[in-house]
Amino acid sequence: MATTSKNMNVFYRQKKNSSASTGKKSTKSPSPKHAATFGSDITQPPALVSHDDFDEQEQVLRQFDMNMAYGPCVGITRLDRWERAQRMGLNPPKEIESLLRGGKVKLESLFDGRV
Amino acid sequence: MEVDSQEQLQRKQSTYLSLDENFEIQKEVYRGQQYSQIYFARLHMMRTLLYSLVPNWKSHLPVCTVLELEEGKECIIVGTLYKHMKLKPCILDEYSKERSVAPLIKPHNFMHQDDYLVLEDESGRVKLGGTKLSPSVYVTGVVVALHGKETSAGAFFVEDVLEAGLPPQIERPLKSREDKYVVFVSGLSIGSSSSNPLQFQLLVDHITGHLGDEEEQGFAAEIVHLVIVGNSVEISHGLLNGQNLASKDQSRLSEPFKELDILLTQIAASLPLDIMPGSSDPANFALPQQPLNRCLFPGSATYNTFRSCTNPHCFELDSIRFLGTSGQNIDDLTKYSEAKDKLDFLERTLRWRHLAPTAPNTLGCYPFTDRDPFLIDSCPDVYFVGNQEKYETRLLKGC
Repeated sequence: MATTSKNMNVFYRQKKNSSASTGKKSTKSPSPKHAATFGSDITQPPALVSHDDFDEQEQVLRQFDMNMAYGPCVGITRLDRWERAQRMGLNPPKEIESLLRGGKVKLESLFDGRV
Repeated sequence: MEVDSQEQLQRKQSTYLSLDENFEIQKEVYRGQQYSQIYFARLHMMRTLLYSLVPNWKSHLPVCTVLELEEGKECIIVGTLYKHMKLKPCILDEYSKERSVAPLIKPHNFMHQDDYLVLEDESGRVKLGGTKLSPSVYVTGVVVALHGKETSAGAFFVEDVLEAGLPPQIERPLKSREDKYVVFVSGLSIGSSSSNPLQFQLLVDHITGHLGDEEEQGFAAEIVHLVIVGNSVEISHGLLNGQNLASKDQSRLSEPFKELDILLTQIAASLPLDIMPGSSDPANFALPQQPLNRCLFPGSATYNTFRSCTNPHCFELDSIRFLGTSGQNIDDLTKYSEAKDKLDFLERTLRWRHLAPTAPNTLGCYPFTDRDPFLIDSCPDVYFVGNQEKYETRLLKGC
């Protein structure tokens, strides 16, 4: 299911221009959680919300998560899964390992907290 | 009575090597993983092995994954078997509206003539047809290679099956030509109403050489090892109902262990012994069961001849490999498949190269992420199972 980052915008809801939505949020009373209002991201879990600076690195790691050759990704950290694939002789790409050890990336798979 | 002035009989000895490291879970960390991980590890290991065996079996046929199947194309697929069983108990049955379907008396064996097999790999699953693969023999969790083709109905018609077969056995010539014996005992059930302390005491006396004349004692001196294969104690279930125990009941709870410890101390003073947990022992429920805690055996655990072991248990004596379980794996096969006798089940697990194929489907199992410890990669010289209805033995010769 290889999609380029250009096409990803088709699948993810776009955040509206920041000025309008932040304006709305500041005037609302803080306590009650409103139902999904136009342009608001309150009801969406953080992982599904598209970030404008959709990380190239996160994209690569998600492709690694989804690759069935390395086994299921749920319930195992990405680094553990990479090391397991390495031990089994599946030759996972070295770039993934350096990415995961470099820090600054999510160590859990994309399903973490969502399943 | 004149004490024999002849020299004391010496017990024979064997070098012991424990191979239980694979079954220990102290280093494992539970991170919320599901059983898909252990199935993946199992499929990967077995598939690599089967791919290496396929060229010797049918080299002219292409090997493909389940999703790559095309109608009419003869090929070989490798995957994990899943047996759909009509009578298999399902938690959802409790919520079903039509209660009349489930029988009131639970059957011992859940087989039904409508059971069918499905082959799965990461890409997909396909229903299996044909008569070559009998649903009464196979169970969920076995990895096989199948030769056949996809039918118009979308099922896979099986023409031939390739199991992993007997694992290789390391040839080790016997160093000494003298006879040595190992004693296997299971189901002592101390604490149950049917256990008779005299029987166990007789066994202990026989093994330690306190019974019989010199010839008998000489025979006992050839026993080098004792393995207790599970279900050593039986605690009355009435005590384990979740209520707080009165102090009188608390002592009732520990009595079977005190009795067992007294007897084990006599044995440990005389020869090396291994004790494995079974289904009725106070160890964890899921396989691999961890060794019984040494604090249960204050008397015998002080001896270095006493070893508390895992279930399954693997060890070597004088380089002869022993592998076996306390019976949960074979009991589960009895429930979900059929065979003429228990040794047939045992042989099947060896040919499938897996101690407990029904784990984790119907047999409790720890969710390993990176390996499947029940895979048998080296054929044991002695393969045992405890707690069955009767004693049986068979000599299996590989090619």
